[in-house]
Amino acid sequence: MKQSEMVAQKDYWAKSACKMCIHSCAIRAHVVDGVVVKIEGDPDNPSNRGKLCPKGQAGIHRLYDPHRVKTPLRRTNPEKGIGVDPKWEPISWDEALDTVAEKLKAIREDDPRKLLPAINDFHRIHIWGWGAAFGTPHYFSTVGQYCGAAYHPLNGILDGSFAAINDYNHCKYWIQIGAGDGFSSHLHVAASIKRMADARVERGMKLVVVEPRMSAGAAKADEWLPVRPGTDRAFVLGMVYVLLHEQNVYDAGFMRKHTNGIYLVAPDGNLFRNAETAKPMVWDSAGNTAREYDTEGLNLEDVALEGVYTIEGVEYRPAFQEVKDSLKDHTPERMAEICSIPAETIRRIATEFGEAACIDSTIKINGKEYPYRPAAVNFYRGAIGHFDGGLDSAAMKLINLVIGNIDVPGGHIGVGLDHRLLILKEGKDGMIEPQPHLLHPAYEFAEKPYSYQLMEWYPIGIDPGHLIAENVLNPEKYGFDFQPEALIIEHSNPMWNLSATNKVIEVFKKLKFIVAIDIVLNESTDWADIVLPDLSYLESHLLVCIEPPMVTGHVYRRPVIEPLYDGRDATDILTELAKRIGFLPEWNGLLNFTMFLSEENHLDPDTPYSSLELTDRMAKSIYGQDKGLEWFQEHGHTTRDQTPEEMYLPYAKLGQRIPLYFNFIKEVGDDMAEKMKTAGVEWDTSAYLPVPVWRDHHPLHNTPPEYDLYAFAFKEAQANFSESTTLPWIDEVVSCQPMHLGVMINSKTARNKGIKTGDILKIESPFGEITGRATVGEEVHPECIAISNTISRWSQHPVGKKQRSTHFNKLLPADVKWTCGMTGHLETTARVKLSVISE
Amino acid sequence: MRLGMVIDLKRCVGCQACTVACKAENGTSPGIMYTKVLDQVSGTYPNVRKQFVPVLCNHCRNAPCERVCPTGATHKREDGIVLVDHDKCIGCRACYVACPYNNRIFLKRGKLKEGYYGKKMTPYERAKYPEHQDGIVEKCKFCSHRIDEGLTETSCVQTCPADARIFGNLDDPESKVSRLIRSRGGRQALCEDDTDPSVYYLD
Amino acid sequence: MGRSIPLVEKEFVAGFRQQTEWAGLIASAFFFGKVGSGLFIMSVFLQSRLGMLIGLLIVLCGKGGAHMLYLGRPLRFWRAMSRPGSSWVSRGIWAMSLMLAAGFIAISLPPGSPLFMPLAIFAVICAFVVAVYDGFLLTSSPAIPIWNTALMPVMCMFYALLGGTTMVLFLKHLGFIQLSGKFTALLPSVEITLLVVNLLIVLLFLVGSINTGSAGRESFDLLVKGPYAVPFFALVIGVGLVFTLLMSFVAGPRAGAGTVALITVADLIGHYFIFFLLLKVGVFKPVLGFLKI
Ligand SMILES: Nc1nc2c(c(=O)[nH]1)N[C@H]1C(S)=C(S)[C@@H](COP(=O)(O)OP(=O)(O)OC[C@H]3O[C@@H](n4cnc5c(=O)[nH]c(N)nc54)[C@H](O)[C@@H]3O)O[C@H]1N2
Ligand SMILES: Nc1nc2c(c(=O)[nH]1)N[C@H]1C(S)=C(S)[C@@H](COP(=O)(O)OP(=O)(O)OC[C@H]3O[C@@H](n4cnc5c(=O)[nH]c(N)nc54)[C@H](O)[C@@H]3O)O[C@H]1N2
Ligand code: SF4
Ligand code: SF4
Ligand code: SF4
Ligand code: SF4
Ligand code: SF4
Ligand SMILES: [Mo]
Repeated sequence: MKQSEMVAQKDYWAKSACKMCIHSCAIRAHVVDGVVVKIEGDPDNPSNRGKLCPKGQAGIHRLYDPHRVKTPLRRTNPEKGIGVDPKWEPISWDEALDTVAEKLKAIREDDPRKLLPAINDFHRIHIWGWGAAFGTPHYFSTVGQYCGAAYHPLNGILDGSFAAINDYNHCKYWIQIGAGDGFSSHLHVAASIKRMADARVERGMKLVVVEPRMSAGAAKADEWLPVRPGTDRAFVLGMVYVLLHEQNVYDAGFMRKHTNGIYLVAPDGNLFRNAETAKPMVWDSAGNTAREYDTEGLNLEDVALEGVYTIEGVEYRPAFQEVKDSLKDHTPERMAEICSIPAETIRRIATEFGEAACIDSTIKINGKEYPYRPAAVNFYRGAIGHFDGGLDSAAMKLINLVIGNIDVPGGHIGVGLDHRLLILKEGKDGMIEPQPHLLHPAYEFAEKPYSYQLMEWYPIGIDPGHLIAENVLNPEKYGFDFQPEALIIEHSNPMWNLSATNKVIEVFKKLKFIVAIDIVLNESTDWADIVLPDLSYLESHLLVCIEPPMVTGHVYRRPVIEPLYDGRDATDILTELAKRIGFLPEWNGLLNFTMFLSEENHLDPDTPYSSLELTDRMAKSIYGQDKGLEWFQEHGHTTRDQTPEEMYLPYAKLGQRIPLYFNFIKEVGDDMAEKMKTAGVEWDTSAYLPVPVWRDHHPLHNTPPEYDLYAFAFKEAQANFSESTTLPWIDEVVSCQPMHLGVMINSKTARNKGIKTGDILKIESPFGEITGRATVGEEVHPECIAISNTISRWSQHPVGKKQRSTHFNKLLPADVKWTCGMTGHLETTARVKLSVISE
Repeated sequence: MRLGMVIDLKRCVGCQACTVACKAENGTSPGIMYTKVLDQVSGTYPNVRKQFVPVLCNHCRNAPCERVCPTGATHKREDGIVLVDHDKCIGCRACYVACPYNNRIFLKRGKLKEGYYGKKMTPYERAKYPEHQDGIVEKCKFCSHRIDEGLTETSCVQTCPADARIFGNLDDPESKVSRLIRSRGGRQALCEDDTDPSVYYLD
Repeated sequence: MGRSIPLVEKEFVAGFRQQTEWAGLIASAFFFGKVGSGLFIMSVFLQSRLGMLIGLLIVLCGKGGAHMLYLGRPLRFWRAMSRPGSSWVSRGIWAMSLMLAAGFIAISLPPGSPLFMPLAIFAVICAFVVAVYDGFLLTSSPAIPIWNTALMPVMCMFYALLGGTTMVLFLKHLGFIQLSGKFTALLPSVEITLLVVNLLIVLLFLVGSINTGSAGRESFDLLVKGPYAVPFFALVIGVGLVFTLLMSFVAGPRAGAGTVALITVADLIGHYFIFFLLLKVGVFKPVLGFLKI
């Protein structure tokens, strides 16, 4: 139905898309006399099937929050600081846009790099590049280094995916490590809870949850394995050891057919290549000779996975043998010391996992036969959010690779960032092309860095935005010869979301001009000079599609009522600014790319397009000229289940292999080492390993022992990071839940330290200190404290404002030493010591 | 017909979507929750078990709240839903102390003068508050207004992402609720009190 | 091994929950109901119209007033008479209304009226119900085990009689009512007997409530070990029963009006607080008691 016809009715249900978190549940809003009185899931959508999580239910409060930004605002109090009232004054759009355009235009003409962008609206990824179109390379926010920097690239390198999930429909033995999938967070919570519940209850799937805290998932698991933070890789590699060295359980057929496990590796760790063709070689045991991997008539059964082969005096071994050898000292006993999970448990879980994998079995789906590997390890932020997170990710992939479950029924399935599903391209060496960058193109290497987050030095990673503060405050270290002057914020809260908060605050203090596009003010936008009101999700148009596992397609976000205030769609604001500042052609050019616009829908460089028009063109480009906005207004979404052909063995359809041995990582690392040597920069490239191993020099575990506890942050289904605590219904709920009432401490630890529930604690790390109220219980590892995001706010919004802000990020570092050398991931766990301030 | 609910404790992940969905559906004022999900933790680390227990009015067949109500405000409908007639309730709270499940909530006088953001109410609150009266006792209504509209699910059931809440006719042996109670051995809470709840738990 | 079940407030945690609605005003209504009806009963027995009147006024203003203050919708109070068939609140209100009606008519009759005695006796029966119905009200609720005991109505009755007796003694010593000699001689021993009996009943009640299941036990612990132990032992047992008993024994009414007033105040304090505290320690059972490890 047309927008005008719809809103003219007295009583109607309008279909739209939720945006109370990163995901994209389909909703319908009940509107009576122009007031939204209820939001429900859209029952016609096969993903969330009418279901919503509590945040989605609470969307009414976001819409009607009286503290929303209603008109453009100008700060009248020149003094900025925490708790300082900006004394906002409403101004007209023209005045606001003029002011912003004027300031930014001057900067752009001077040196565009003086602008720091913090644009990370997860539903509008197409606007992330606004800063790039402006001409600045920075990303002053968290778009990955707190969660996915060490995760997405490894997915992309493995099978062209952005994320991954175990096969909800067929898995029978699910190990979940530091992730909330199917319970509380990560991929499409509201839709995945049902998938997980069905697997557990209807199909009797066994669930093992590895977490230092009893999360919702751990509570539902058949087994909770409390782990020491930042050591999950040791647990997993211990399992790999058991399978490879003790039990000889692995999927040889899969490795031979679908991976580079057969490629011979030279003593220097590089692939052994044919001197003329440069093609990788394998060992043909029938012919007792090395051959090119794609030699015609080569029988894969005869190709060696194991052994050492001497050719002209040099020893080569198949990549699988290389993997095995690299892990020969990763015994469960040694790994148990590291991760605190007993060796016999590692052994037992590995055995169960290996058995559950049903190696060599097959399954028929829609008449087609596939390998059937109903066991898989799923993981996310908790497991890999660490120094050496790239190796953590690689280890989690490896345990899956060992049983041959990558993209097969029951196993570990790649998930796309958008409707394109996996980005599969033929690469070299018969392998798919690694896709370490699905968010934006790689930054070109430079001897002298140009982006404050040093993106040019993390060729595999995702923008380590946390490095910005350090580099702004110490520009001489890497030779930055400019200083930032302005910041543009859209749907982001860098002061909250980045680590080393005190340094971030210093950067904010240095900035001469801050403009924010927001709907409710937060810790960062409280510092703005000008605030421009966005439309809320219930008032704007968009096509959204965020990492939905098992399904694909877009959900159409439409205004369910007329906008309440004088807001404008953020995309329109950015377009208007691009026009006024003078880079509309660059901006339109970028949108052609980020909105997947087909040739016939390409934008004219000099015409500003409305968000409505853009949405229409995007829809047509993806779904055909007859499926523009009007089609979506009638049908709501294009979500459908992924077909087995799409989900299973996609690389095999292309005739391409995936890595078991991550030679790509090693090659990138060697290249980096070379370049940095030439540049004369001291740079640690030791993390670029082709096989994940445990490395003892982890800074977290080598913190001085007086910092005797580990501290980490977590969220549950009720919280979107922490911002949903400004919703009264959510605030009310979390204010009644013990895990959100204070800092979780194990009762035994608390007893030893004389701490009781309710005591006020000082929590100190080597990088900062915070205070918090103690909540003593059994649901956390005795060496840890766990801090809910919901107690971390200090913004001016009156709802959910706690007496004290227990903001975990103040405890974290933000420098290169604490950053994963391979991926740029931040260490998200801190070591702390506690003292009781008052009882 | 006897409407009832089955709560599958194996499925429930404690997300509290039901808690909030109920608030949204009924527009209850701050602090009033007809349903909520309780944590139940037992054991000592590392041998710990945690369960999430959604609670709401059980719409007891033999409801003590109805028995003790001096005004007849609390009454049971044909379909088994136990309701409070807002116009009859005097706020004596005899039902509050009689409900073994602690599911009755007294709405203090003046409670409806303020919304979540203070005296100035949101359009949503202005639309929803007229459905309430202060000075009386409220509780879960099994979404009787939805049932009367012909819907087959209450709001909390409708939203539950885990499908941990199932609604239906307990008198029909073939309904999903009856079949689940049979096959999984549904239990009523505090059955020793002889209240015969219409809410069953599967564990 | 199961951890002991916690006592929780508004947290979303399964456990024992204290009832929070019935407290001061309900305790006052119980108190005035019993003291007033006790005084009324004793006064009819002792044939003191003034005593009857004061008893009626205590019930009307004290009990009635407390109820009206307590009700969320006081203007609809009359609706509470709708369900005498099942509701003890209804029954109580009926009894109270009839007692007041019959009582006031009786005392307004001219002396020697033949209607006086039948009306007074009817009012006494109603007053008796007023004195004990709250015991039944509490007992009839399965929700709060410590209330759900057979001794509750008995305790209510004896507290009413004690309260009535104390009040009569008090009024007499202040010269408000006259009593015949044999009653004057008898009353102090009735008082002492009632005090002993009440003490015994309270002790029996405590012993009995240990065995009212885990929630009853939680209530018991709150009362004798927890935050309510001090007022309970000091005010209910100490001041209300032991002190009054000792004073009655040692000094007795002969010691003069001051002592009687002291005994009366002490007795009333004990009387108020026993019901106030019993309401306060009312604990609901945990909804699902069956998480085992
Ligand atoms: N409800 C909800 N869903 C969301 C989001 C949200 O804010 N709210 N945000 C979205 C985004 S952007 C992201 S990045 C994802 C994040 O999704 P997840 O990674 O699933 O969520 P987190 O709670 O951040 O972290 C996962 C868990 O790691 C545990 N943990 C901490 N340290 C360690 C460790 O060293 N080892 C192990 N094994 N576990 C550890 C924590 O207890 C926590 O339960 O969720 C997305 N989905
Ligand atoms: N301590 C701690 N820090 C963390 C994390 C954690 O779990 N704990 N998680 C990390 C991770 S994984 C991530 S991805 C980041 C996320 O950090 P952010 O991206 O900063 O978080 P968001 O919740 O997306 O919200 C940012 C702000 O967007 C604004 N906003 C909300 N709705 C709208 C809208 O419709 N339009 C506009 N223009 N603005 C809106 C709100 O003011 C909100 O505060 O945080 C990271 N930092
Ligand atoms: S999971 Fe996210 S998108 Fe879905 S209902 Fe919850 S908040 Fe909305
Ligand atoms: S919505 Fe469902 S899964 Fe979530 S807490 Fe409620 S009953 Fe449990
Ligand atoms: S659960 Fe309580 S309020 Fe609901 S019917 Fe039973 S006794 Fe009444
Ligand atoms: S509070 Fe209302 S519903 Fe409850 S017993 Fe009294 S009159 Fe009945
Ligand atoms: S049935 Fe309706 S009223 Fe009752 S708890 Fe569920 S949503 Fe609330
Ligand atoms: Mo994230």
